[in-house]
Amino acid sequence: MGIVSETSTFTKILRPVLAWSVGILFFFPIFWMVLTSFKTDADAVKPEFLFFFTPTLENYLNMTENYDYWRFAQNSVITSVFATAGALAVAIPCAYAMAFNPSRATKDVLMWMLSTKMLPAAAVLYPMTFLTKSLGLFDTHFMVIIVLMLINLPIVVWMLFTYFKEIPREIIEAGQMDGVTTWGEIREILIPLAWGGIASTALLCFIFCWNEAYWTVRLTTTDAATLSKLIEGNRAPEGLFFGRLSAVSAAAVGPIVVLGWFCQKQLVQGLTFGAVK
Amino acid sequence: MSDRRLPRLLQTPAVVLLLIWMIVPLSMTLFFSFIRYVLNSLRRPEWTEPSLSNWRGFGNYNYVLNNNDFLLAVQNSLLIVCSIVLLTVILGVLIAVLINKAFPGRSIVRVLLISPFFVMPAVNAVLWINMILDPVLGLQGLAVEGLNGTLQNLRAAPGIGWFFSLWPELQPISFRATQTSAYAVIIMVTWQWTPFAVLIFMTSLQSEDQQQKEAAVLDGAGVWSQFRFLTLPHLSRPIAIVVMIQAIFHLSLYAEIEIVSRGNGNKNLPYLIGEFANNNIGAASATGIFAVILANIIAIFLLRMIGKTLME
Repeated sequence: MGIVSETSTFTKILRPVLAWSVGILFFFPIFWMVLTSFKTDADAVKPEFLFFFTPTLENYLNMTENYDYWRFAQNSVITSVFATAGALAVAIPCAYAMAFNPSRATKDVLMWMLSTKMLPAAAVLYPMTFLTKSLGLFDTHFMVIIVLMLINLPIVVWMLFTYFKEIPREIIEAGQMDGVTTWGEIREILIPLAWGGIASTALLCFIFCWNEAYWTVRLTTTDAATLSKLIEGNRAPEGLFFGRLSAVSAAAVGPIVVLGWFCQKQLVQGLTFGAVK
Repeated sequence: MSDRRLPRLLQTPAVVLLLIWMIVPLSMTLFFSFIRYVLNSLRRPEWTEPSLSNWRGFGNYNYVLNNNDFLLAVQNSLLIVCSIVLLTVILGVLIAVLINKAFPGRSIVRVLLISPFFVMPAVNAVLWINMILDPVLGLQGLAVEGLNGTLQNLRAAPGIGWFFSLWPELQPISFRATQTSAYAVIIMVTWQWTPFAVLIFMTSLQSEDQQQKEAAVLDGAGVWSQFRFLTLPHLSRPIAIVVMIQAIFHLSLYAEIEIVSRGNGNKNLPYLIGEFANNNIGAASATGIFAVILANIIAIFLLRMIGKTLME
């Protein structure tokens, strides 16, 4: 009996209390950033205003003036959207071929694709700078889109492949019997059937593009600079601008964190390449 | 057979693109690592052009291996990667086991927990180093100041004041200093990646054999031995995968290190490559090749593990 009552006390009180504390602890830095974004720069560094202060929207209203936020945000949206679209356009046919017409080499090709993801970016830093500059593509949207697309392509192919594999082959083959062309099969049978999987793959790819902080910082200066570059350039070591820095940071991560809440499951599949189910 | 040729051809664009992406820059790095190649040189202007006549053999590799910064960078890379991996796995297992069972508000706790993972690295670093860890203006500084103020008041209190005057004043820690900046990076990345470990372990725990557990309880197995002999073995594969994926990601940490200390006493390999690349491309490329070798050693194990489940 002793053990049973102990277990139930634990389940009833201790577990929820502990779990909630851990959750709040992990969320606290984000909460703190959002809270600080409603303080004036002066209030943000005063101990007496830690939690109680007069909230203000001025940091958000002055974001354009202080940081030119919308230009960077626009670049982030453009590069992430087009990189995701490009990756899907290349990956859907590829994953289709691998899932429904596998050859003996398919497994090796998939593994090889993954291995490209493991190449340390820094190792090819100078060649990339050299190539983009000599092709006149440095600091252009086009180059950022291509790079974002290529670094995410392996994950996109993998995720789509694991989704497509779940679709019974008979459905696709029935289409072949009816004399549908390969393109028709992809467009009219595969895409409608795997719509959910394709959408969550796109969402995850978009998040990775948005958060990318190596190439977007090293291959841009102003014209194609994304939000990563904006934040990286405003680290404000003197802490004089905590209020406005919090506001611009919150605006940079807010939408993505909310999007992320909707694709927790896909994240597991996407990041472990289907090895954890 | 002929009707299968087109479908298979559909893989080509993806394969060709990735092939170019992998081979072209990497072979350039390999080539540059064997020649003398600098961006600016008044004395030897011929070295500013990448050409075969500047062949240096393994000279760049020698130079890098004998460079003090290189050893420090490797040490630092390993310190940062190992600490983060260890912390996230331990915290991840504990938290996953904690929230694996139902309790009021579980889905909200899950959302709170996973959020840090979606914060972009640049914001993560700026947020932690300025607003939280700063010894004067950050939360740490403000908290220390507040606690010291309370301590002052208590010391002045009659009767019990003598007890508090035995306590030392708190000193805030500066995380921008040479020795401590690596810890700042470890703290912020652990915060960001523990949610990832939790998510993976939780997914895996969902598939744990409940009947086996119930049988163990009937046999009188305690909570600890259930964890030790059932849960932990069940998690061994996900743990291995989390370790390797993180190792690969964190070996190329860059934004956090740049923002925390600008590499002051706290360079890792990618940072050192960036520094070399400001002028000495030969050395940067040789360091890059070392980084590729290091990542490959880990990647081989990871690919083997993933390959096993691939075609089931």
